[in-house]
Amino acid sequence: MTLLAPLFLLGVLAVGLPMWLHRLSSENPNKQKFSSVMFLEPGEPRRVLAKRLQYLLLLAFRIGVLVLLAFAFARPALLGAPEAIVEDSARLNLIIMDTSASMRHGQRWPRARDIAEGIIDDVPSGDLMQLLAVGRTARVLVDPTLEASGLRQSLNALNPDYSHLDYGELMNAVDLTARGVELPVVVHLVTDLQQSSMPTRFAELAAQVPLELNIYDAARPGESNWGVQSVSWTPATQQIAVSVRGYGTPPAEKDLVLELNGERVAQQPLSITADGTVTAEFGGLDLGEGANRVRMYLDPGDALAVDDQRFVVVKRPEPRTVLLLTQDPTGRDALFLTAAMETMTAQATTVERSTPAASSDLDLRAYAFIAVADAGILSDADAERLREYVAAGGGLLMALGQRSAGSSAVPVTGHAFLGTAQLGATGGAFTTVGTMDSSHPALAGIDELRAAKFYRYTEIQPVPADQVLVQLERGQPLLIDHRLEQGRVILFTSSLDRQWNDLPVLPVFVPLVSGLASHLAGELSVQTEARLGATLSPRAVGLASGQIFDPQGNAALGIAAAGLGDEVLLESIGFYEILGSGRTELVAVNMDPIESDLRLIEPNALERWRNLNVPLAEVAAAENVTVEGAEPTPLWPWVLGLLIAVVFVESWIGNWHLRVRRGIAA
Amino acid sequence: MNDRAAANPQHLLAPEVLASLSNLELVARAAVNGLLHGLHRSPLFGFSLEFAEYRAYSEGDDPRFIDWNVYARTERTYIKRYLGETNTHLVILLDASASMGFSSGKVSKLQYAKYLAATLAYLAARQHDAVGLIIFDEEVREHRRPSSRIGRLHSILHAIDRAEAGTGTNLSVPFERFRQYQSGRGLVAVISDFYCEPEAMINGVQPLAYQGQDVILFQVLDPQELEPELKESALLEDMETGESMEVSPIFMRSRYRERIAEHIESLRKAAARAGADHELVSTRDPLDAALRNYLTFRQRRG
Repeated sequence: MTLLAPLFLLGVLAVGLPMWLHRLSSENPNKQKFSSVMFLEPGEPRRVLAKRLQYLLLLAFRIGVLVLLAFAFARPALLGAPEAIVEDSARLNLIIMDTSASMRHGQRWPRARDIAEGIIDDVPSGDLMQLLAVGRTARVLVDPTLEASGLRQSLNALNPDYSHLDYGELMNAVDLTARGVELPVVVHLVTDLQQSSMPTRFAELAAQVPLELNIYDAARPGESNWGVQSVSWTPATQQIAVSVRGYGTPPAEKDLVLELNGERVAQQPLSITADGTVTAEFGGLDLGEGANRVRMYLDPGDALAVDDQRFVVVKRPEPRTVLLLTQDPTGRDALFLTAAMETMTAQATTVERSTPAASSDLDLRAYAFIAVADAGILSDADAERLREYVAAGGGLLMALGQRSAGSSAVPVTGHAFLGTAQLGATGGAFTTVGTMDSSHPALAGIDELRAAKFYRYTEIQPVPADQVLVQLERGQPLLIDHRLEQGRVILFTSSLDRQWNDLPVLPVFVPLVSGLASHLAGELSVQTEARLGATLSPRAVGLASGQIFDPQGNAALGIAAAGLGDEVLLESIGFYEILGSGRTELVAVNMDPIESDLRLIEPNALERWRNLNVPLAEVAAAENVTVEGAEPTPLWPWVLGLLIAVVFVESWIGNWHLRVRRGIAA
Repeated sequence: MNDRAAANPQHLLAPEVLASLSNLELVARAAVNGLLHGLHRSPLFGFSLEFAEYRAYSEGDDPRFIDWNVYARTERTYIKRYLGETNTHLVILLDASASMGFSSGKVSKLQYAKYLAATLAYLAARQHDAVGLIIFDEEVREHRRPSSRIGRLHSILHAIDRAEAGTGTNLSVPFERFRQYQSGRGLVAVISDFYCEPEAMINGVQPLAYQGQDVILFQVLDPQELEPELKESALLEDMETGESMEVSPIFMRSRYRERIAEHIESLRKAAARAGADHELVSTRDPLDAALRNYLTFRQRRG
């Protein structure tokens, strides 16, 4: 038996309390005869510390309660019967199976399994064996054991995954495993010795603990592989570009097939030179609304089929229309904004200019978002219309320029105006950008914003729900992301007509407007691609909650866990489907293309790795090392049951003593 | 000691002195002597067959009391008056329950009650009254029907002397027994600590009053019962029920005294409602106060 939390045994010290209490005694140990107690009533006895313990039976039960309580908290458990006592000369044989994607090539995995079987057979009786699988992470499949049958069973159930192995991380995992072992450790690594698995620094291959490293090669010389290296989608040109590469391959003719939403829609013949790379482009695809599944694959495939394909999510570009509200549709602010938005190449954008008065009959819901050149031009009715538009999920970009000066509050958002800061005329005193939230998706990649000079700006007081994206040097907010129910408003606290700053004429203005426009149109928040081993949540595709299905159609994140912040580990390649809020989003997960490179480690590098490790030093002979055969059986439920019984008896005895002391006939 | 006590009869009324007398008859005699010694100096006439005075016969007087010798010599009718001239009977109901065994000094309540009972019996016999006795606790333990025969006093004194503290108290038992065997009018002296509800006492006394009996209740209590002084908390055990209770000195000094006073007052009022006299007697007090009250009671009822 053992204790899983032995520190709780300190609670036994609490038995001092009942022992002290049981030395307390009322001050009248002797009874006195009295005629009648009919006029008496019991008083609170004065207590003194008696020399001897009293009520020993009750004391025993009370001590028992405390001891059992401490014992229960210490979590007693019965250990399984030790499998065996390890012999003095025993060693721990750590059998490590490389389960990276490249092990799927041809007969590598069956060979690797045979090698492992041979290792198990060759392990001297009395030696311990442990089985680990390493890919993206290291997993202990079988704890140290003397039984080979359990190892073989786990080995037969093991298969390679889609991950990439780094030998540096592998050796780190070996270190961690071997560090707490009292036995000499012999590592048997069964792998395909990929050159691409070598770490950046060769020194990472060195183990920090003494061990013997045996490396078994499951690959065969001359093995070749073709793989689809990348697939990229350009929305502006609606073109898909594909790159195919061969590793150790002879010249070959292959077909590159494009499968759209499960249907083979296009095919191109490829002439791939020896060890060569070839690219192909596909266009004119008949894309459906929303997310489309595109799978590119080579036909015929090769011995490593998993990298002969690649997945990408393609969305049909929808030309968007932006409404620009300005007092003067031919003014500078309208000109700068229109030019910036129409310059954006990622998506076709049409800017529709209008005055607030002329826009009263327009259906605002038809616009991707709305820009207001100066908030001061809006009437109360205009502000209310825009507010309803934003609250329903729309986006609004609003500048607080010259016409806003003198207002008491910002239209639509209701921010309080604190005044207008005047630093000087153009070319005179100015301020610049102080801090910028580069993590915000709208500002990603924008770093020249600090070059802009600001001569005037409007001071407003942010509210707690605001996210200040850019601040001026003095800390005043320049760009505020304000959430308004389902939609958002971006407030720019200076003008867009070059009167208060020179930002509109700087090159950074275009990417800034582009980022803000994409953010307001809700296009930045949608993730369409993720790497293997990453996590995915509905929030990554712009959904507050939803269900996630893996490429096999199994629910990876159910409704019960939806919205609770749970994320799904991406362990399969293909399309993960996220359902929620009436939308369906797709995320493509592909194998790391580096796994396609099957070139082997140079023999001299391999030899250096073998020699790099600390020789197996004299390790103290194992003495009385036991191997725990089974999970400890918790005893605390039984202790708890006993505790309850003792509490009942203690209560009864305590009550009996109380009755006696209070003069009630027992 | 006996010589000194005899030289000062008044001194004999002190309980401690009476306790030193080995014979209960001696106790009774000493007490009565002490009492009568004091009475000579008191305005009371006393009660005996001794001649008191002559007075002229007036209409309405009982002609049986005319002194015919005087009439023969003087041809005038005179009434001859004696002290204690009316013969009656006295029945003593003595409580010998366990609680009567309580004592905080030399004399327990039962001892004091026995002195009182013996003295009353002796006094009554001296006046040629018939004397009866019922000793009880939960049951009637001794019963002597009233009689003025020679030797009855000794029998009663002997019965009183043998009384020991018994078990619990049940007042209805002696009163019931008394009603069964007593038909004529007389005096009833109940000596007890009366640890009972006043209603229970009334239920026993009231039928006697309706029967024409004159009842006097002597409530005998120890000073520690009236004004207990505890220096520290104590576990007090009921002498009749065995029940124990831990009490504090503060309670015994304040609330208990209020309660026992309320109880005594309730008994007094209940006795008055039932037509009985109630006399509180402390075992610390001499017997004369109780005996004087009895004589007053006797004179009033006689």
